[in-house]
Amino acid sequence: MKTVRIISLICLVLLAGAMVGVVSGDYTTPESIVAADKVYVSGATYNPAVFFPWDKGTLTIDVTNGNTATGVNVNHAALSSDAIIITSRPYDSSTSIGPAQKQSFIFSVIANGLDGTYYPTFSLSFRDADSLFYRAMVKIDDTPLEITILDKPDTFSAGKKKTVYAQVANPRENSVRNVILDVSGTGITTTPSRVFVGNVASGAKVPVNFSVTADQPTTLHLLLNYDNGDNPHSVNMDVPITFGVDKKRAYPVISNVKVKNDAGTYHITGDVNNAGLENANTVMVTSLAPAIPQDPYKTYVVGALKPDDFGSFEVTFSATTAENIPLQLSYKDADGNVYTSLQDVKISVVSTAAASTGLPIIPIIAAIVILAVFIGGWILYLKKSKK
Amino acid sequence: MKHSIIDLLVRPGAFFQNAMNDKESLKFPALIVLVGGIAGALYGYLIGGLTGQLLGGIVPGMGTIIVLSTAIGALIGTFIFWAIWAGVMYAFSLIFKGEGTFRRTLEFIGYGYLPQVFGTLITFVIALNYIPRIHVPQLSAAASQNPDLITEAVKALMHDPAMMELSQIAMIISMVFLLWSANIWIFGMQHARKLSPRDAALCVGLPVVLYILYMIYSMAVM
Repeated sequence: MKTVRIISLICLVLLAGAMVGVVSGDYTTPESIVAADKVYVSGATYNPAVFFPWDKGTLTIDVTNGNTATGVNVNHAALSSDAIIITSRPYDSSTSIGPAQKQSFIFSVIANGLDGTYYPTFSLSFRDADSLFYRAMVKIDDTPLEITILDKPDTFSAGKKKTVYAQVANPRENSVRNVILDVSGTGITTTPSRVFVGNVASGAKVPVNFSVTADQPTTLHLLLNYDNGDNPHSVNMDVPITFGVDKKRAYPVISNVKVKNDAGTYHITGDVNNAGLENANTVMVTSLAPAIPQDPYKTYVVGALKPDDFGSFEVTFSATTAENIPLQLSYKDADGNVYTSLQDVKISVVSTAAASTGLPIIPIIAAIVILAVFIGGWILYLKKSKK
Repeated sequence: MKHSIIDLLVRPGAFFQNAMNDKESLKFPALIVLVGGIAGALYGYLIGGLTGQLLGGIVPGMGTIIVLSTAIGALIGTFIFWAIWAGVMYAFSLIFKGEGTFRRTLEFIGYGYLPQVFGTLITFVIALNYIPRIHVPQLSAAASQNPDLITEAVKALMHDPAMMELSQIAMIISMVFLLWSANIWIFGMQHARKLSPRDAALCVGLPVVLYILYMIYSMAVM
């Protein structure tokens, strides 16, 4: 029995000796350990650089062999972390990194943490030495891109094209790409309706202008699509389109109106002043029913009026029984939209015939006085001559 | 002409007393009336020009006809009025049993036209200033189919403010110089028809005053 125990002990010792020979092998040498010491991680790159939660991406670890004459063999590379999910397999095959060579190890990852900074660990096993460990910092940030309306009209008018000045800003720490702004809405036409912005660097601002022609009060939808790495993201914004009086619009006003009746044909002359802040193009004045426009000025084209500018007009028409007739004033804005306004003009009391029906009192009195003086003079003369 | 024109204007009694010693002659009175007629024709030319301008658009050439007819009408009308005034005053003088020939009456009434020549010339000069300010309505050929339109156009011309003013000034001037003529005519009739000053004043005054009242009425209803 004692002999058996001694034999078993000898066998265990032999087995242990054999196993040490397998693990450390016959390759582990002081030189290989020194060579492994000169292998280092020369770079770790995440794509995207900063993840949104649940973004997919890659981590590229560059391992450089700092030895100038000695190659190293590696046989296992892996990545581990609680904040990210590694979806690619570890590198299990043995490979050699030559002197002064670089070897990249790429891992597919999914960010599954909340906003914050995390430190996944990269490990690399050497065949002839111990392992290399490296902590590759990664950031997860849920901050989206920002859309800002820099300027827009206070109010819109039906059919009038107005420009909206927007801005896309990137508050993230990494750049995003394929930024595209979609502009849409019910009852509106936008030009352009889709704007390609391209890449937006971290902290950068890109102006985006587009015009909006609205037919009704509505809501303008802005949808900003962009890619963080290969992960599509979007952010939207609603802008109310309200109708009202445009405070800057052209505002032609008719004034200094004079009416003259010329043998049944009325001549209305006056001035058109632009009391607005925008140009009034192709200003035209004409008379409407019950007036019947007549030559030579059925319609008078005043032309373009700048703000605070004015032009004269004359329209001719006939009217039989009307006391008031409407004058129509029309103009176009820069987009060709036509605007019209009406102004009633009283014509009955200002006709020449009507205006001159009063008695010419002064000439009549003068004539009677002269006649009376003549008659009185002769009566006096006759009385004197009798005496 | 042996007698002074100044006497005719300022001392017509003395003028006609001397003229009675001369043989009846219509030569110089006719000359005065002719000058008055020419002045009237000039004034008529201006006013007729406005009417011609108004109606010229209806029928081409009509404007010229109207201008010429107005001028000629004014010239001839002055002579006709000379005869009418003389006739009316002669007729009135018959009531007062006046003595003297119609030819002498016509002669003296013709002399009395002299102030009206001045009046017409003054009116003509004033009209030269007023005419450009008068707005004449334009009628097209289509207006010939619409008499109401022509009437309306003439009415508009007559009621043009400048036209109205000219008419009133012309009326006042015409009246003043007619009264001056009437003053001369009274002395003329007194001698031509051997009337008392009172009868002569009635012979002349009645038709002249009636005529002036008619002028005032016309101006009032214009």
